[in-house]
Amino acid sequence: MSLLEVQELSAGYGSLPVLQGLSFKIEEGETAVLLGLNGAGKTTTVLCLAGLIKPWGGKITFDGKNVTGWDPRKLVAEGIVLVPEGRHVFPELTIAQNLRIGAWPYRRDRKHTRAIVEQAVEYFPRLQERWTQLAGTLSGGEQQMLAIARGLMARPKILLIDESSLGLSPKLTKTVFEVVQKINSDGTTVLMVEQNAGVLKIADRAFVMEKGTLVYEGQGGEILDHAEIREAYLGAPA
Amino acid sequence: MRTTIVSAVLVVLLGLGLLVGAGVENGPNPFITLGVMNGAVFGLVALGLVLVYKGTRVFNFAQGEFGTIAAYLLFLSINRGWPYWVGILVALAGTVLIGLVLERGVIRPLINAPRINVLVATIAAALFMIGMEILIARIEPRSLSPIIAAVDSSGNPNGVTVFNLPIEPQRLIALGVLLSLGGVLAWFFSKTDLGLAVLATSQDAFATRVMGIGIERMSRFIWVSAALLGAIAGILYVPLTGALTPAVMTSNILIPAFTGAVIGGMTSLPGAFVGGIVIGVVQSVGLWAGGHFTIGEKALQEVIPGVEQVTILLVLLAVLLSRPQGLLGKEA
Repeated sequence: MSLLEVQELSAGYGSLPVLQGLSFKIEEGETAVLLGLNGAGKTTTVLCLAGLIKPWGGKITFDGKNVTGWDPRKLVAEGIVLVPEGRHVFPELTIAQNLRIGAWPYRRDRKHTRAIVEQAVEYFPRLQERWTQLAGTLSGGEQQMLAIARGLMARPKILLIDESSLGLSPKLTKTVFEVVQKINSDGTTVLMVEQNAGVLKIADRAFVMEKGTLVYEGQGGEILDHAEIREAYLGAPA
Repeated sequence: MRTTIVSAVLVVLLGLGLLVGAGVENGPNPFITLGVMNGAVFGLVALGLVLVYKGTRVFNFAQGEFGTIAAYLLFLSINRGWPYWVGILVALAGTVLIGLVLERGVIRPLINAPRINVLVATIAAALFMIGMEILIARIEPRSLSPIIAAVDSSGNPNGVTVFNLPIEPQRLIALGVLLSLGGVLAWFFSKTDLGLAVLATSQDAFATRVMGIGIERMSRFIWVSAALLGAIAGILYVPLTGALTPAVMTSNILIPAFTGAVIGGMTSLPGAFVGGIVIGVVQSVGLWAGGHFTIGEKALQEVIPGVEQVTILLVLLAVLLSRPQGLLGKEA
């Protein structure tokens, strides 16, 4: 049984359809990546999975449960956590406070929360150095690290990361991808939305989207070797 | 740290003012004392304003009317012959209920609307509440007795006397309640998960939803708390005025409380407390100065009618020019 199964998913904004019968599966322990040009529906897909957009039709099955149309609160408690595009850290709260908010589902269990904080900062030691600094004063890369660490605080079974490399230098992007790989190897399934071809090096599986549907599915390394797809969807010439 | 420094500087200034005032014939000391007491009520309403602003980034024009409604509910309960404490419970519960209805019926449908829409909705809510007060209790002034009478049965004043000025117990209660509530709210926002979640919601509602926090719950909490703070202010303030009339809290308290909140820093709870006291003292000293000083042969208050209001605006201007984020607010 797959950890996440999306069947014939359709969704949109107002009367504008974006997703039109999208289907894919993600197995437990994988790092999967959603690729595609702007407007392909990648972000809409993860917003649907996180319960922030109600699907028009189709079915989302997670860990054997039909979670279609569930509220974000229930989905976070179930283990689906989103790191949104643009980081969305709380600018006037400190790093420590941002992480505490991330542990909201476990707020009554202080011991548990402390343990997750320790684990989260192991991935990003720089956060610990700036523990009491306001999140709004961090650099873009540090904010991205904080956003991912905050996502980990809810102990996700699957972490959805939307455009983590957006606006980051190649060096920082590499660091972020390496940490995501470590998070995955520690047991968290990851679904990334990316336009950066570098992500394929850490991806077990890749899905290419166009106009709200899946046009290609394969292993991460396969796409790197697939010159046509690489050029059409990642803008990276052969 | 800044809170401690600013508070210490203001306490020293207050002390210096009292020392200098002691050497002046018909000096300002009774006025300063009265100003601190009035400032406590401004501070209470300012706390409610800051709470809503921190949670929703909106100035709540209905904050004053929570207090007037509570005062009317207390008045109606006492008139029915119910004990005073039962009246207070009825007033608090009734106002909280109104806060809940306002949040569910007006604010929540606008949760994703531009903030200006919510601002206008609070004006409409205030006008609606004033209309209801006129409809139910009529326009004529009513008298609302204080929690503890200003004089005992033999005609001696209750409370304490400071600089020959008798301070009614009601004013002392208001000051005590403000200090306690300020402390509780400061603790709540810095130490509790719910307090942090309220702050987080005000900064990024989308991210709060992403974290699995129900922003509807946060909104409900903010408005119920604001209604409760407004109700407490109304119950404590109206008996001091001697006349309960529709919109009394909006017309007498809302503007000074707002000014206090701005001076303190719109996002700072200790700032609301400090700002409220500053405004109370400045207004009161302005009143004293208006009668004490003369220009030519005319008293200052004849040359500048409403000199105490002008003094408030001058202080507001000075604070905004030197520190736009307020005394205790954080720089944006």
